[in-house]
Amino acid sequence: MKLPLKWLKEYVDYNVTNEEFVELLMKRGFETAEVADEMPGIKNVVVCTIKSIIPHPDAKKLRICSVDIGEKLPLQIVTNSQRVFEGAQVPVALCGATLADGMEIRPTSLRGVESFGMFCGGRELGLTDADYPGAGIDEVLVFNEPHINGQRVQEAFDLDSVIFDIELTPNRADCQSIIGMCREAASALGQEFKEPSIREIEGEGSIDELAAVTVENNELCPRYCARVMTDIKIEPSPAWMQKRLRSVGLRPINNIVDITNYVLIEYGHPMHAFDLACVKDGHIVVRNAHEGEKVRTLDGALRDVTDDMLLIADPEKGVGIAGVMGGENSEITNETRTVLFESAVFKGSNIRSTSRKLRHSTDASARFSKGVEPVNAMLALKRAIELVDELGAGKVVGGTIDVCSADISQRVINVDWRHVNKIINLDLTPEKMLQMLGTIGICGTLNGERLKIGVPHFRTDIESGIEADWDIAEEIARLYGYEPIKPTLMRGETFVGKVGPLFAFEDKIKDLLVSLGAYEMYSYNFTSPQDVAALRLDENDERRRNVKILNPFGEEQSLMRTTLISGILKALALNLNKKTGHGRFFEVGNIHIDNEILPEQRKMIGIAYFGEKEDFFTLKGTVETLMERVGIRNVSYAAGGGEYFQPGQKAVVLSDGEVIGEMGAIHPNLLKYFGIPVKAYVAELNFDRIAKLKNERRTYAPIPRYPVVSRDIAIVVDEDVLAADVANTIAHTEANVLIENVELFDVYRGAGIAIGKKSMAYSFTLRAEDHTLSDDEITAAMNAIIDGLSKELGAKLR
Amino acid sequence: MIHSLEEIKKNMLIKLDTIENGAELEEWYVSVLGRSGSLTSILRGMAGLSKEERAAMGKSANLVKQELEARFAERKAKVDEYMQEMRFKKEAIDVTEPGKRDVPLGRLHPLTQVYREIRDALVGMGFTTFDGPEIEYDDYNFTKLNLPKDHPARDMQDTFYINENVVLRTHTTPCEARALMTLEPPFRLAIPGRVFRVDEVDASHSPVFMQLEGLVVDKNISFGDLKGTVSAFINAVFGSEVKTRFRPSYFPFTEPSAEVDMSCTICGGKGCRVCKGTGWLEILGCGITNPHELENCGLDPKEWNAFAFGVGVDRVASLKYGISDIRLQYENDARFLKQF
Repeated sequence: MKLPLKWLKEYVDYNVTNEEFVELLMKRGFETAEVADEMPGIKNVVVCTIKSIIPHPDAKKLRICSVDIGEKLPLQIVTNSQRVFEGAQVPVALCGATLADGMEIRPTSLRGVESFGMFCGGRELGLTDADYPGAGIDEVLVFNEPHINGQRVQEAFDLDSVIFDIELTPNRADCQSIIGMCREAASALGQEFKEPSIREIEGEGSIDELAAVTVENNELCPRYCARVMTDIKIEPSPAWMQKRLRSVGLRPINNIVDITNYVLIEYGHPMHAFDLACVKDGHIVVRNAHEGEKVRTLDGALRDVTDDMLLIADPEKGVGIAGVMGGENSEITNETRTVLFESAVFKGSNIRSTSRKLRHSTDASARFSKGVEPVNAMLALKRAIELVDELGAGKVVGGTIDVCSADISQRVINVDWRHVNKIINLDLTPEKMLQMLGTIGICGTLNGERLKIGVPHFRTDIESGIEADWDIAEEIARLYGYEPIKPTLMRGETFVGKVGPLFAFEDKIKDLLVSLGAYEMYSYNFTSPQDVAALRLDENDERRRNVKILNPFGEEQSLMRTTLISGILKALALNLNKKTGHGRFFEVGNIHIDNEILPEQRKMIGIAYFGEKEDFFTLKGTVETLMERVGIRNVSYAAGGGEYFQPGQKAVVLSDGEVIGEMGAIHPNLLKYFGIPVKAYVAELNFDRIAKLKNERRTYAPIPRYPVVSRDIAIVVDEDVLAADVANTIAHTEANVLIENVELFDVYRGAGIAIGKKSMAYSFTLRAEDHTLSDDEITAAMNAIIDGLSKELGAKLR
Repeated sequence: MIHSLEEIKKNMLIKLDTIENGAELEEWYVSVLGRSGSLTSILRGMAGLSKEERAAMGKSANLVKQELEARFAERKAKVDEYMQEMRFKKEAIDVTEPGKRDVPLGRLHPLTQVYREIRDALVGMGFTTFDGPEIEYDDYNFTKLNLPKDHPARDMQDTFYINENVVLRTHTTPCEARALMTLEPPFRLAIPGRVFRVDEVDASHSPVFMQLEGLVVDKNISFGDLKGTVSAFINAVFGSEVKTRFRPSYFPFTEPSAEVDMSCTICGGKGCRVCKGTGWLEILGCGITNPHELENCGLDPKEWNAFAFGVGVDRVASLKYGISDIRLQYENDARFLKQF
């Protein structure tokens, strides 16, 4: 929202600095994004009078001027302008000046003659004819009226003010107008708001003879007001109006269009002007579009409209898309003689969806989307008619068409003022509240325990229902200022805060992985169809059920991930590429599996190792440590796992037979897809399941009183005998009760071992709970183990 | 014999004083006091002496033995000390050589570190963690929070849609709805989580980021309580010297609403590049929970009130560590992660 200070000063006494004003607005909930100069970028450009001109001795096109800038000594300026003459007053950019395009002026020497500045035209100063007559031509600008030499050009052009760019919150649609913003500004400044009154123009004749309006859909168009003017003379609008439009960033077009734009800025209500001669029978019909209908809008685009969109039509054809843009067929042209002004209310949500479906947003559609109100619609129309009269743009026809199904009576709300005090922790009297509210145009009376408040038409954000107390509390807090409201400590019950068990468990897992040397990573939850395809997931794999985003940011991010693997591999590729030198990463994050209603969300732990020191077993060591630390029972590893792993180097992780994750060497094809030139090992574990299975309860067991005995054996078995088979067999021998620990400490293949066989060396720790083991017992136990291995697995003692 | 006893003592003591290592010391001991040592042989030779001579001789021999033993112990202590010194010299190391580590130190992501810090500050203030799904019903993400379909304020948060009724949550606030509908008030919750907005990725925007929200539901809650709690929270996270400033703002799910600034942690409020010369940093949005939200979630706003505040974890991390580009948080470059 652009608020020119000059415009503000028309309605409010302004007695503060711009900085103070910005601060005051901020305290009322209006942030200022920018305070822009009316002549942006211009510095150190002043008025001068050319005293004498002599030709340059060495250059035909150059002239040497001596100019008066209001100082004792004249200044020498070399120019190529042939337009300037002795006695002319022109703008001159002095050394150190900056111009509209950011150019900086320095002393120069032109063909041996020094020049201490540069004469400026409209282009250098960022001005057009609307700002100053003659500024439009590409030449040095010559002032038409006398000025003081040395005066800043900003003062000379009367462009020495600023424009505030104010950011509005969506609840304050009323402030998207000079009137609305000035009302708030006046209150913030502690000044009276000098609200302009509109002069009613009665006009001659009767509108009914020239025009008619039928609203077929009252829901989408609760109010449609129209007036008509004849004998229109299309011409440029006056300079003051053009200047104002330009100051808020609008391009002047012609008097009629400019009037509607001016009213849009001033009153915040979008209007439209139709060339009534182009509206069949002068009959405006507000109706839903017909399926398959097309309308060519002002910008020349032929647009397909659908039956949920509202059209402005005549009995034969569409002449505009309601609230979005007028039709080309009824546009104001230089030949226009009769004009119908439309000032209507269209349902915001409908305009919003129309604008979105047409992929076309205009100033008008944006305003309608935010919500406009019916009383303001009539005010805006009256103001436009006043301007037509003031500009002499045409003859106003008597009468106003007003098709109104909206309730335009004033709403009254009853507010519990004690409750208001309670909400914001204040102790204001009801009289004080009413006085404060009065400064922003909200008037009311005290009615017992309640404030009886008449909600002004422009405050559509103030509700009548349950929210009323809070709405008024917000206004009172804002007017009182948030800063002076005393901070308090909460009373009532005391609370003991807690990090919930799952959050705490996540902390624990992350801390553990960090202690094992891994860097924690965060990936986006998005993935692409290509990345998913590269995983070569099994046809029945539920991870093929990616949640699809309807409006993604490109295909690359069109799906929600069902595994952490892709994100992790991307990070690995990046780190390899940039040679960051770190090879351990992990991520704890959610994946989503598409489901009928809400997708199933699962938290996963992804761990990735790569680099010379890493292999399947370094990663497995980490997984084992993790399982042990959180007390997962009976963890086992079985060959198997997804197609994205390399066959023969992949495993599923189980606890009591339930799959809780998988791990392995990433398949070379997938490595290649992600541009990873080395082997990488990834584990993906189901956090939710682990959290369910975890057992962090510990009970003390007495420290053993009897000594341990260690025995090592090496056995030779067939290649296909697994370590798990050996462990299993040992666990099933009768010696098991004495075994405190078994460790596989070496696997050997090669000299001395037959091909197809391997040697596995185990270290046993034996102990009895209640006595020191005798040699006989130890021998018996070891024999039992060896017998078992030999019987079950054909193992031979090496 | 006595004479030879003295002779032995004298000779052996001279020899003892020249000994400088353990082995020789041992040898000396054996040669004098050992089973076949010189003193021992003298004592053995006493068998042929008379009773009186034996007594006198035994006494002298014992004195000599005692003295030799004592001198031996003395010398041994010296030699041991010397030997230890020699060993220490040999074993001396360059303590400035780097230490050995089994694995290099891992790192927690800066966002995790900051999230924990914020969360723990809230836990210390009596808040308990609460979680909800990242993919959420439109109803919880918007409608229940006083943002019905086509509410203009929906434009404040550009939303990724899964279908008409399901969205990627744009804030952690839908968890408020879930909590209000399921928990028995009063309660205080800390709600962390990832949120999603349709945003072009640049230095200050990411389509995925992390929020942490505080929610207090109780009776007789006022805007003063909100101010007190939020200020205390900011001081707990950023230090007690940090000042806060509350500005009126608008959120559909709170009323009154406030935007909270804190004095710039870089320049202390004097004005710098980070705070764009204002001395203030926008840090958090908050407000008294809108009665519609309470009502939509089954609480009577006449009986219960609530307030909520939400902070961007990424933003806090950026401010805390001086990270100028939010993209770094999701790129996972080890050279970035290593710094925290």
